[in-house]
Amino acid sequence: MIRLVKAELQKVFTTRMVWGMLALSLGFTAIGLVALSLLSGMQGAPPITDPDGVKNLFSQAGVGLVFAFVIGTLLITGEYRFQTITHTFLVTPRRQRVVAAKLVACAGVGLFFGAAGIALAFAVGVPALLIKGGSLSLIDGDVVRLCAGVVAAMALYTILGLALGSLLRNQVAAIVVGIGWVYVLENLLVALLPSVGKWLPGGAAQAVYGVSSPLGGDYLPAWGGAALLVGYALLFAVVASATTIRRDIT
Amino acid sequence: MAAIEIRNLSKSFGAVRAVDDVSFTVEAGTVTGFLGPNGAGKTTTLRSLLGLVTPDSGEALINGRGYTDLAAPLSEVGAVLEATSFHPGRTARNHLRVLCTAAGLPAARADQTLGQVGLADVAGKRVAGFSLGMRQRLALATALLGEPKILILDEPANGLDPAGIQWLRGFLRFLADDQGCTVLVSSHVLAEVEQTVDDVVIIAKGRLIRQGTLAELTSNGDRGVRVSGPEVERLRPRLEAAGATVECPESGVLLVHGAQPETVGQAALDELVVLSELVRQRSDLEQVFLELTGDPAAPPGPDPVPALTETPGGTS
Repeated sequence: MIRLVKAELQKVFTTRMVWGMLALSLGFTAIGLVALSLLSGMQGAPPITDPDGVKNLFSQAGVGLVFAFVIGTLLITGEYRFQTITHTFLVTPRRQRVVAAKLVACAGVGLFFGAAGIALAFAVGVPALLIKGGSLSLIDGDVVRLCAGVVAAMALYTILGLALGSLLRNQVAAIVVGIGWVYVLENLLVALLPSVGKWLPGGAAQAVYGVSSPLGGDYLPAWGGAALLVGYALLFAVVASATTIRRDIT
Repeated sequence: MAAIEIRNLSKSFGAVRAVDDVSFTVEAGTVTGFLGPNGAGKTTTLRSLLGLVTPDSGEALINGRGYTDLAAPLSEVGAVLEATSFHPGRTARNHLRVLCTAAGLPAARADQTLGQVGLADVAGKRVAGFSLGMRQRLALATALLGEPKILILDEPANGLDPAGIQWLRGFLRFLADDQGCTVLVSSHVLAEVEQTVDDVVIIAKGRLIRQGTLAELTSNGDRGVRVSGPEVERLRPRLEAAGATVECPESGVLLVHGAQPETVGQAALDELVVLSELVRQRSDLEQVFLELTGDPAAPPGPDPVPALTETPGGTS
C-alpha cells in the first residue's frame, strides 16, 4: 500500500499542474494578506492588531482551498482524460486499492498546500503586524489552532476533490461541479436554509478553521467539522468504488 | 498449461455482442497473431484478459489465473493496448518510474526499458512532443518493465512507419526466440503479422473463426501448381498416374492439384516438354483472410475455394 501511495504522490509531483495550483493558492493568500495589512485600520477596515484581526489575517493561509480541491479531482480525472488509468489498473488490478492510495496521497498533497499557505502567512503576517505596531504575543494558541485547521481543511478538500472526481470521472464536469458548489450553490443553499449551513462542506471547513461565522450562524466544533468532511469524502469514494471505478476501461 | 486461455468468453456492450462464446489457447513460447477485421472483438477479448473489462460470462486466464488474482501482474504479463496514452506533461522516464514504484520494481528499470525500445535519448522529454510512433515505443517500454514472459499487444503497428513496423517485427521475434516470451499480437491486417507469427487465431463479429498454425492457414490457400507450355497436355497421364488431379483451364495451361512443383518438373523433364511457367498457385493471404472473416452473405468471389468455406477446423 505504501508503494502505491508513493506512486500516486510521484504522479502529482511529476507534472507542472501541481505547481500551477500551488501558485494560484498562494497567490490568493498573498492578495488577502497584503490587502488586509495595507487597509488595516483605514476607513472602517478592521485593524490587524487586535486578536480577531490577527486571526482573520492568518486565516488567509486557507483561502486557496478550491485549488487543493482541483488538484484532488485532477489526480483521478486526469487518469481518465489521458487514459493513463489503463496503466494504473494494469499495475494494480484491485481498483479499490488505487482509490485508497489516492485518498492517502491527496491528504499528503493537501497538507503540503496548507503548510505552504501558513508559511506565506507568517512570512507576510509577522512583518505586517510589527509594522502596524501590533505585538507578536497576539500570535497565540488561537492562531496555532487556526493554522492546524487550515492544514486539515486543505487535506480534506483535496480528498473531497478526489472523491468527487472518482464519482464523475469527467475532468471538466468534476471541476465545474466542485467550483460551482463552492462559489454558488453552497452559498445559495445557506442563504435559503441557514440551518443546514453547518452540515455542508463549506460550513464544515469553517468549523475546522475555528473562525466565527461572518453571518453569525453557528458551526460544529472543529473535530465535528473534520469528521463531517471525512464523512463526505468517504461517502463519495465508496459510492465511486461501487459505481464508476468498477466500469469497464475500454 | 497454456500461457493464455480464453474459455467461452462473452461480452456485450448494450445491444452489441462484442465477443460471443470465444475460446482459444496460446501455448507458451509462441507468437500468436490475433486477427480479425476492425470491430471483431479483439480489443474486448484482450481487455477482458487484462482485467480491464469484466466479461458477462466465461473466463480469460493467464498462466491458469485471472489477471486480478496475479500477485505481481507486471512481472507476469506486459500489455500494449490501444486507447492508452500518457500524461503530456510528464516525461517518458517519469511515466515509467511511477509504474515502477507502484509495481515495486527498481527505478532503474525505467531507463533500461527505454534503452531497449530505442527511446534513451528522449527519456527526459515530456511526452507532449512525442510522435505516435514514439508513444507506441513508450507503451512497449511499459510492457517490458517487469520483464514478463507473456506479452499482449493490441494493434501495436498502428502509427508506426514502415521502418518502425520492421523494427517491431524483429523485436517481437527476438522476445520470442531469445527471451522465450509468449506473444499474443492483434492486428486487422494479416500482412502486418504474417512474417512474425507462428500461430493464428481469427475472429470476426465476436465469434472464433479459426485457430491454427500459420502454415495450416496458408495451405488452405493452396490452389495447386500452375504449369504452362505449348505441349503441357502430354504431362497429364504421368501426373494423374502419380495421384494428382489435373485441370485444363485454358489451352496450354494445366492446374495440378495434389502434386508438388518438383513432381511436375520431374514429369516435364521425363516427357521432354518445354515449359514457359511452373509456379505454385497460392491465393493471396489477405484474400484468404478476407474470405474467412468476410460477410458470408456477400456474393462469392470469382474463384471460390471450397476448402475455405468450412467452419472452424478441428485444429489443436
